[in-house]
Amino acid sequence: MRPNFFHHIHPPTIPAAQARWRYTLGAGGTAVFLTLVLVATGALEMFYYIPTPAEAALSIQTLSYAVPFGGLLRNLHFWAAQLLLVVSAAHLVRIVFTGAYAPPRRFNYLLGLALFVLAILLDFTGYVLRWDVGIQWALVVGTNLLKSIPGVGNALYAAAVGGSQPGPATLIRFYSWHVFGLALLAAIVTVWHAFRVRRDGGAAVPTPDLRTDPGRISRFELVRREALAMVFTGAALLLLSAFFPAPIAPAMTGITALSGDARAPWFFLWVQQMLEWGDPFVWGVLVPLLVLIVLALIPYVFPQPARHELGRWFPRSNRLAQAALAVIALVFLLFTLLALIPAA
Amino acid sequence: MTELSRRDFLKLASQGLLAVSGLLGLGMIARFLGYQTDPPPPTEFDLGPAAGYPVGTRTPVPQVPALLIHTEAGFSALSLACTHLGCTLEPAADGFACPCHGSRFDADGKVTHGPAAKALIPLRVEQDDQGRVILYTEG
Repeated sequence: MRPNFFHHIHPPTIPAAQARWRYTLGAGGTAVFLTLVLVATGALEMFYYIPTPAEAALSIQTLSYAVPFGGLLRNLHFWAAQLLLVVSAAHLVRIVFTGAYAPPRRFNYLLGLALFVLAILLDFTGYVLRWDVGIQWALVVGTNLLKSIPGVGNALYAAAVGGSQPGPATLIRFYSWHVFGLALLAAIVTVWHAFRVRRDGGAAVPTPDLRTDPGRISRFELVRREALAMVFTGAALLLLSAFFPAPIAPAMTGITALSGDARAPWFFLWVQQMLEWGDPFVWGVLVPLLVLIVLALIPYVFPQPARHELGRWFPRSNRLAQAALAVIALVFLLFTLLALIPAA
Repeated sequence: MTELSRRDFLKLASQGLLAVSGLLGLGMIARFLGYQTDPPPPTEFDLGPAAGYPVGTRTPVPQVPALLIHTEAGFSALSLACTHLGCTLEPAADGFACPCHGSRFDADGKVTHGPAAKALIPLRVEQDDQGRVILYTEG
């Protein structure tokens, strides 16, 4: 068979151990697929979305209810974005629980973490673009958190909001970051991350002399598996989009008016829960930043995974790193659940 | 310290220049993004004739957001922006509650339940010559 373009961007053969579902979960490839879905659906949304406070929410209503397949398009964009966070988290968990960040992959681990942060920022800016009563308090709280940072807080607030309270300048700024600034950064880091995967020798497996499984698969088999993952992910996206529409709410009447929904977007519920405990800077900025720093330090300060233990889950040699990530994940889940339980 | 070779000197100088230009560029971006196109929100709100607010009433003014209070002692007002992170407070049985993080304030604006640490900010209210109520958010 003659390799086509998609075959060509893969290595001719790779060790079979690098492409087992039960090892990689296919998470990295699925994240790439979701990113492509987001670019395509997002580009189409731009034909109808109007980034002004008076028209943003109305243009989304037009897109969702009047434009043929507009609702489906918006639902696909929404679900691909939510799934991207879930899949990226699964990818991070897989990398730590298999010790795959060991040298020479430490730097690529940091690139991956940067992509995760960019995905969260893209998700939040996209959420704010609804400019309806459902996002009002998340916008007020999120931007006021910037103000709570000592020293640079006011400058950061001015740069993000473009005024002394959220208004037209804020919406156009969030829009520019979402569709261009953050998207461009994410595209660059995504390509860099993928390049480093190749440069670092593909998914982490033991060196040939320590490998128990000498089998290799061809690029044709690899592309087949990737296509299979895309079909399943695409089907999941279509099903979710068909039965669970993306959230929508009445247009905002004013940034100070009372609004019904005070709940943060799901990926920030844990922060909202911590904010109930007091100081905004400590719980809303410092603690999330510390979590990120601990994650970034995993390949650098914890005991390194042993070479012969690469390529499988839960190696003995990096138990400490696994425990650290497990604690972070459990705390995230616990706080998210706490935030979902209505106050008595 | 040993002597710096020409090659190392040029390398150091070019890296230093790159770093300085990078920092300058960052500073320019920060100043560029710091420009404020939107006018600041009004600090003065004309709430109409005083007769519209009889003694004993407590009237929410959502556009501030504030609560206008008229007692025997005269007009006063409380900011209804939560002192924690700025969400607008909702009326509760014994005062005000924040929908975002659960802070509670009594009817006088004092904190009865965290996370808010500061009492609600009192706002200045005056009546002009025509007897109109004017609320100020500053000063």
